Amino acid sequence: MTHMELENLVSDYLEGQLDTVRRVEAEAHLDGCPECKELVATVRQTIELCRSAEELEPAPWLVPKILRATIGERQATFWERAMATIRPVLHPRVAYAVAMGVFSFSIIINVAGINLRHIKVQDLNPRTWFYQANRNGHLLYARAEKFCYDLKVVYELETRFRQLRPQPEPGPGEAPKQSPPPEAPAGGSTEGQPPGVPQLALVQEPGFEIRNSKFETRNSLPRRMGGLRAANFEPPISSLEFPVSRFEFRVANSQIGPMSSPRRTP
Amino acid sequence: MDEQPELVKRALGGENSAWEELLKGHGRKIYNLCYRFTGRTSEAEDLTQEVFIKVFQTLRTYDAAQGAFSTWLNRVARNHLVDHYRRTRKDRLTSSIDEGDGQTAADIEARPSQIEGPMARVESRERRELLQAALDRLSPDMREAVILRDLQDLEYEEISQVLGVPVGTVKSRINRGRLELARVLKRMEPMRGQGTEP
Repeated sequence: MTHMELENLVSDYLEGQLDTVRRVEAEAHLDGCPECKELVATVRQTIELCRSAEELEPAPWLVPKILRATIGERQATFWERAMATIRPVLHPRVAYAVAMGVFSFSIIINVAGINLRHIKVQDLNPRTWFYQANRNGHLLYARAEKFCYDLKVVYELETRFRQLRPQPEPGPGEAPKQSPPPEAPAGGSTEGQPPGVPQLALVQEPGFEIRNSKFETRNSLPRRMGGLRAANFEPPISSLEFPVSRFEFRVANSQIGPMSSPRRTP
Repeated sequence: MDEQPELVKRALGGENSAWEELLKGHGRKIYNLCYRFTGRTSEAEDLTQEVFIKVFQTLRTYDAAQGAFSTWLNRVARNHLVDHYRRTRKDRLTSSIDEGDGQTAADIEARPSQIEGPMARVESRERRELLQAALDRLSPDMREAVILRDLQDLEYEEISQVLGVPVGTVKSRINRGRLELARVLKRMEPMRGQGTEP
C-alpha cells in the first residue's frame, strides 16, 4: 500500500470499515511508515476533537422569536395563565407567610372549639371564641395539675413503703452504727432540721393503713382526686413481713387536703 | 423520532403546539449547524430563524416516505446555508480580517456551562474556537461533509440525502475534509500555545 492509498483510506481505516485484506495491508504499511502513522494519529485526534465539541445553547429568546415570526403571538394556554397568576404566591416568603397564617388560623379554630364541619351561627361570635378558649385553657391547666398530683401521690407512697421496710439488725459484737448527721451546708440553715433528712420522713403518721391485705389511704388526696384507684399497683414488697401480694389504694376521705399535710380528724 | 411525522401532520393541521414542539426539538441542532457553517453566533441565530421560516412555509412538501423529518430539515438548512454562503461570499472577502469570529465576550458569557468550572469553560471555549477557526479554512464542500458527519453525527446515507450526492462522494469529501482539518489544526496548534488568533 502506498502513502496516497493509505491517505485515501484513513477514514475507513479509523472507522473500521476496511475489509480484512485492506486492513492488514494498511497496518503493515503503518508499521514501516512513521509519517503515515503520525497522519493517522492526527486524523484520529481531529475526529475526537470534533466529536467531543459540545453543542452551543441557542439564546433563550430564539425559539419565541421564531414562533412569533411563524405563527404569530402565541396565546397562552389556560394552565400557563393559571401558573402565571399563582407564580408570585409560590415565592418562598409568600408561601411561608401563607403557611403560618393557615397554621395560626387552625390553632385559633382548635382552641375556640369550633367544628368546621358543623359550624353554627354562634360559632362566629368572638365572645364564643373567647369563652371556649378560656374554658379549654382552664381544662388544660386542671388536667396538668391533676397529673402533677398523681405523680406526687405515687412518689409519696413509694417513699412511705421504703420507711416500712425493717432495718437490718446489727450483729452481737457490733455496736449499732449511727450514721453521722449530715453536715450542714456552709452558712448554716435557718430551718430546724438537718438538710439531709428528707422532708417526707418527718411525717408522723402515715396517710394509709394496711388491713386484711387491703391498703387504704386515710386522707391526703386532694379533693379533686376523690375516687382515685390505683389497682394492680405492685410496689417492691420483698422485704415486707406480712403477706401482702396486692394492694388496693382507695381514698378514704376525699375531703381532706394534700397528702403531705398532717392528717385531719374527720 | 417515530412521532415526527405525526407532529408534522398536527402542525400542518394548524396545531401550534405541534409546531412549537418541532421547533424546540430541532432548534438546537439547526442552530449548531448554522454556527459551524458561519462561525458567528449572531449570524447563526439569524440563519436559524430563516431556516425555520422556510421550513414552516414548505412543510407541506415534506414526504415521510422519502425519509426522516430530521434529514429533510437538514437538507433545507444546508441548502439555505449554501445559498447564504454564495450570497455573502463577496462580503466575506472584503470584510476585515481582524473582525474575529463575531462572537463577543458577552455572547460567550451569556451561556456559560452551569456544571463545569471556570477553567474547564475556558478550555472548552478555546477548543471550540480553534475548531471553528480550522473549519472556516476548509472549502464549503468538505466543511459541510465534516460538520454533518463528525459534529452532527449523521450517517453516510443521511448525509448523502442531505447533500444530494452519492455516498461515495460523501465518503471522499469527509476523508479529504478530515485530512485537511488535521493539517490545519496541526499548523494552528503552535499559535494556540502563544495565545494568538489564527
